[in-house]
Formats: sequence, C-alpha cells, structure tokens
Amino acid sequence: MKTTFISSYNTNQSVRTHLMKMQAELIKVEREVVTGRVADAGLELGSRTGQSISMQRDVQRLNTLIDSNALATSRLEATQLGLQSLSDHAQKYLSIMTAASSGAVEASISISEASTTITTITSVLNSAMNGENLFAGVNTDVKPINDFAPGSAARTAMEAAFVTHFGFAHTAPAASGIDKASMETFLTTVIEPQFMGADWTANWSNATDETITARITLSETTSASVSANHDGIRRLMMSAATVAVFMEGNLNGNATQALMEHSASQAGQSISALGEVQAQTGIVEQRITTASERLQMQINIFEGKISDLEGVDAYEASTRVSTLLSQIETAYTLTSRIRQLSLVRYLP
Amino acid sequence: MSLSTALSIAQSALLNTQRQTTIVSRNISESSNPDYSRRGTMLSTAANGASIVDIRRSTNDVLFRQNMSALSSWSAQNTLLNGLNTLDIDLFGSNNANHPSRLLGNLQSALQTYSSAPSNSSVAENVVENARQLVNALNSGSDAIQNYRGSVDREIVSTIADLNTLLADFKAANDEVVGGTKLGRDVNEALDQRDALLKKITEIVPITAIKRGDNDMMLTTTSGITLFETVPRQISFTPTAGYAAGAAGNAVYVDGVPLAPGAGANTSGSGKLSALVQLREDVAGGLQAQLDEIARGLITAFAETDPSAVNPDLAGLFTWPGGPALPAAGTLENGLARVISINAAYDSTVGGNPQLLRDGGANGAAYVHNTSGGASYADLLLSFDTQIGTAIAFDPTAGISGTVSLSAYSTESASWFSALRSDATRSAENKSALMMRTSEALSNVTGVNIDEEMSLLLDLEHSYQASAKLVQTVDNMLAALLAAVR
Repeated sequence: MKTTFISSYNTNQSVRTHLMKMQAELIKVEREVVTGRVADAGLELGSRTGQSISMQRDVQRLNTLIDSNALATSRLEATQLGLQSLSDHAQKYLSIMTAASSGAVEASISISEASTTITTITSVLNSAMNGENLFAGVNTDVKPINDFAPGSAARTAMEAAFVTHFGFAHTAPAASGIDKASMETFLTTVIEPQFMGADWTANWSNATDETITARITLSETTSASVSANHDGIRRLMMSAATVAVFMEGNLNGNATQALMEHSASQAGQSISALGEVQAQTGIVEQRITTASERLQMQINIFEGKISDLEGVDAYEASTRVSTLLSQIETAYTLTSRIRQLSLVRYLP
Repeated sequence: MSLSTALSIAQSALLNTQRQTTIVSRNISESSNPDYSRRGTMLSTAANGASIVDIRRSTNDVLFRQNMSALSSWSAQNTLLNGLNTLDIDLFGSNNANHPSRLLGNLQSALQTYSSAPSNSSVAENVVENARQLVNALNSGSDAIQNYRGSVDREIVSTIADLNTLLADFKAANDEVVGGTKLGRDVNEALDQRDALLKKITEIVPITAIKRGDNDMMLTTTSGITLFETVPRQISFTPTAGYAAGAAGNAVYVDGVPLAPGAGANTSGSGKLSALVQLREDVAGGLQAQLDEIARGLITAFAETDPSAVNPDLAGLFTWPGGPALPAAGTLENGLARVISINAAYDSTVGGNPQLLRDGGANGAAYVHNTSGGASYADLLLSFDTQIGTAIAFDPTAGISGTVSLSAYSTESASWFSALRSDATRSAENKSALMMRTSEALSNVTGVNIDEEMSLLLDLEHSYQASAKLVQTVDNMLAALLAAVR
C-alpha cells in the first residue's frame, strides 16, 4: 500500500509548464525594461484604462493650447506695438495742434501733419500678421481702414455734411462768415456722430466690433485682439481728419481756432483711451502667459500621474529579468538532473 | 504427491510473474500518456498457489470529476480571453492607439488649433480629416464586430461538429465497455479511451457523468440536459448569415433545450460553447452598442443650432442616413456607428466647404452663426469643444449608464473593455492553475511512476528466479527419488 505517489509524467511535465510560464513572463518584463512602461497597459490597468487615456488626451490638448496661446500672444504683442505707435503719433500730433491753436503754426503745416497722421494711423491699423489683419476684429481677411483720399467715401461724407449743415461748401467764400460758436456746434453735433456712430463702419472701417475669441485654458476664453472700431482710434482719426479736410477751406480765424481746439481735445481723449486699451491688452497678455504656465504645470502633473499608472520601476523590472533568467537556468539544470534521476541508470 | 503439488505451484508462480511482467512493461510503455491509468494486478491464493484474479485500473472518481469541472471552466475562460484579445487588437490596435476616445482627443486638438486660426482653411481641412479618421474607426470597428460575430458562429458550427464526432466515439467506447463488462472481458482499454473522450467533451460542454449498471455511463450537462443516454442526443444550431448590429444570434440547443451562455469577465459559463455565445452576444453586442452611442454623441455634439432658436437642431459635421434630423436623445440607435458619415457639406473632396464649421449654415441660412462673415470668428468653433464636454444622456442598455460627456463616455468605454480583458486574464490564470493542480493530483493517482515499475520488475525477476530454482530443486529431488528406486 503506497502513501505518497508521483507519476513520472508529472515529474517531467511540471518543470516544462513552469518553464514556459517563466519564458512568457521574461518576454513581458524585457519589453517593460526597454520601454519603461507596462507591456500591455489595458491589461494592467483594467478599469483604470479610461483614466490613463483621458489624461493622455488632456496632455495632448493642453500642448495644443500652449501652441495656440503662443499664437495669441504674438498677435497681442503685434497689437501692442501698433497701439504704442498710434499713441506716439497721437502725442506728437497733439503737441502740434496745441501749438497751432495758439497760432504759432502755419495752416499748411497743420494740414500736412494731419494728412501724415491719417496715413500713419491707416498703415498701422491695416498691418497684418500671418495673413490676418490685426485690427479688423473678426473680419481679418479685409483691410480694416479705407484710404482717405480725395473722393473717398469718408471724405465725401464729411464735405457733404458741411454743405448740409451750412448750406455751402467749406471751400465757398461764404465759409469765411462762420463764427466760432456755429463751427463748434457743427463739429460736435454733425461730425462727431459721423465718427462715433454707425457712419464710422459705413465710411471708414471694415472691422467688426466683435474681437477674436481665444480659448486659453480648457475652460477659459478671452478676447484676444483689438478692433479698429475702438473709441480711441475713432477719436484720433476724427482729430486728424477734421483738420485735414476743413483747414483747406475758407474758414476765418475764429472758426479755425474752434477746429484746432476740437482737434486737440479729441487727440487728448484718444491718448487716454489708447492708454486704457493698451493696459487691457497687457492684462490679457499677462493672463495668457500665466495660463500657459498653468497649463505647463498641469501637463507635468498629468504626465506624472500617467507614469504612476503605466510606468514601471526600471530597477525592479531589471531585477525581475535577472531573477527570471537565473530561475530559467535552474529549470534547465533541473530538467537534465531529473532526466538522470531514474532507477534504470542504477540497475545493472 | 506433494512434490508434484510443489511443482505445479512453482509453475503457476512462473506464469503469474510472466503476466505481471507484461503489465509492468505495458505500464512503462504508457508512462507518458496522460490518459492512461496505471494497471495493477490482484493476486489471490488458491490450493495450487497464487493466481491473478483481476487487473485493476487505478481510478479516483472524485479527482476525476474535479479535473473535468476545472477543465471545463478553464476552457470557457480561455475561449473568452482569446476572443477579447482578438477584438482588442482588431478594434483598438496596440495599447488602445486606435480607440475612438483617442481619435476624439485628436479631433479636439485639431478644433483647438482651428479656433486659434479660424481664417486658415488648411487647418479647417485638418479638422475634417480628423473627423474622417474617427468616422472610419467607428465604421470599420462596427464592421469588425459584426464579422467577428459571424466568425464566432462558424466556430460554434465546427465545435458542434467536433462534439458530435466525440459523442459518436464515446458511444463506441461505451458500447465496448458495457458489452465487455457483461461478458467479463478486460475492458480497461475501452475505459481509458472513454475517460479520455470525457475530458475532450467537457472542454466543449460542461458534463456530469452518471455511472449505471454494467459500467454504462450516461452524460448530462451540468444544468441537467441529457447529452448521451445509450445514444448521443441531437445538438442543433443555426448560424446567422450576415449579422446586423443589435440583432441577436441563435442559441445552441442540446436535446431541444437552449444552452445557457456564460456571464461576466470571470465567466460563469463552462465549456467552449457557452463562452462563444457569451462573446457573440454580451461582449461583441455590448461593444457595438457603445460604439453606436459614441456615434450618436458625436452627431449630437456637432449638431447645428439655429442662433435665433426657431428651427430645430440638425446634423452638422457628422450625419447619418436619418439626417439631417438628429437621432432621438438618450436612446440607442442600433448600427449607428456603421452608418455615421461626414456631412458632404463640409467635405471638400465632394465639393463641400470645411469653413462651414466656423460659420455654420450647412442646413441653410437660418443656421449661420457668423452673420458678419468675419474670417476670424471663433465662437462657434469654441462651442463644439464645450459640447463635447457637456453631459448628455446615454442609453443604459449599452452597459455604461448615466449622464456623462461624450469625452468621458468614450474613455469609460475603453475602461469597460479593458476591465473585461484584465479580469478575464486574471481569471484565466486562476482557472488554468486549478486545472493544472487537479490534473496533477489525478495524474499522481492514476499515472505511472517508472521507478516503481522498475523496482516491481526487480521483485518479479527475483520471484521468477526463485520459482525457477524451485522447479530445478523439485526436479533434483524427483531425480534422486527415481535413482533410489532404479
């Protein structure tokens, strides 16, 4: 009667099955050592696979956001430069107008200064980056400001307004009879609405009030451009255009005085409005920069978590490789020893 | 008188030793056959010496039953795992690289790039291209699932053919056992063969073997359906030609009773057939339903809205044959993943305009959002990204319930499948370990140990020598006796 028994089939078979298991394991661990990640993430993570995919997707989106933020930042930097140059011109123009209103500057110089200012404003506002007009609001495929040449819609509208208000053209001899008060009335009630109201978009500007919206984080959007329809820009244009058009007329000293004073006051208001919009733009730039920094931090956190989920401790993995290798070698030795372990060998 | 008795005892001892040697050598020759049961001899004492009354097969019914049940569970689990791995590679590629959730992420990134440069039409093309990849993945995934269900049906058919052959063989072996037992023949060969067949049958359907008189055996499935009783019972199955999403396949009938499919990642089913039906219905069906829901989520998230809120929402970038109307909210639309497509209005390869994504208006002027025509209008583009992240109701019959965002649903779908695969792998390891353990235990009881046989052979050799010596001694004694009387 036997108490313990083992079949020869089992003796041979058990080493073989374990050997195959170890070899399969070895291939898996070798891959892990090389890639630094688990061999089959879906298998390893199971129900947490979604987390890992979701985080990898977020990292991808955050990287895209950082790229698009860089684009928005460069657009805002160019805008900031444009605004600065507008503001500089407004300052220069204001000082000339101030001097002119005290009669120290000749009319022809005022006119040419005003025309130069208009040209400069137009060229700054019509500047483009990557084929997008910076100051066009969302209508970036169109130049935002129309040219101010004789016969242009803007100029014609101003001249026509003069005729409608006074009954004669500003170049007519009768224009010399206009006194200071009625010139002031004309400028504030007729000309100002042309710039500040709907006529601006009809005659001067093709830009939209709506500015470009940009997503700067996964949940945050911001306005990332300045429109040529901004108050400061309208006032600066008005300040220069009134002088450029009506100084050429037949106005007397008092009316010219009124024109100069109005122009200087508009330029002054424009400078403060431009300063404001420059500050706002700066704030947005700052927001985007901090947003990008935050995004980078999020990416780092996510990547850390992904590596927590999917990463493999390289040291542990390589230790496992060497353990497995020595186990497999032991198994080989064992197989040959077991083969020798037979009674047949000892029988005569 | 007593000398001749001694001689005949010695003769029968020689005979016994020869027969025992035959059995030992048979044992040795079959030592590496896992289906062979070791034979032993039973000697009994009679007036003229010992004689062999019986040749015994070593058996252990309890271990054999345990081994059969472990074999059956392992077979089901292994079939399920193989199916899951096949689907995983077919549908999602290595490491889920081709999973819709990842492609959705690419689409979101493309949208973000487009929203930062809305006037750039090549970026718009890139968004449509990413959308096309997502649609292709859904279309081909859906096809792959339905083809897979068809291939499962074919596998069921060939498995049933195997089962029928095995049952016919089983009938032959069983008849031999019953006939032999009645006539008192040695039926050990047939018994070995019958046990081997039982192991093969139980890999296909889980069985309970009931022993009856004359060593007859009746087989039922573990759920009690008769599989074999004197003759094999009929196993019927009608494969479905060309599966459609949501259409259930046919069950396998044993003796007219449907075989229950397994359930869960650690499958409750035993035998290959139950796991195959489970793969075809629960796994492939569930996966299809989730792809359909993802498709519905896409059509809904990219739907065009009327800015003045007068007209109903209509299909935008993604559309379907039922379009431009949207699929019903919160309800599974079977096979949607197969038929979802890119709206031709956006597709520049068929004369569409990808910039409609920025402006709206694929369904007519009432749906235009960018009324001023601004080239850098980004609000509508940004709203798509918001829509992908907005929670909508998903049909709970697809396996993932609740109101979640499309983006979360797609990753949950990946989790669902990976969890299945991961649990199935772990269970397969456990069941394979149990199967190994029980077959080792069985083999230790019924198998052959060569060393034991060799030592038995030594015993037999000695016994043979002793008997031969006995014969010679009796011969000498008889010779001495005869010499005395001469």
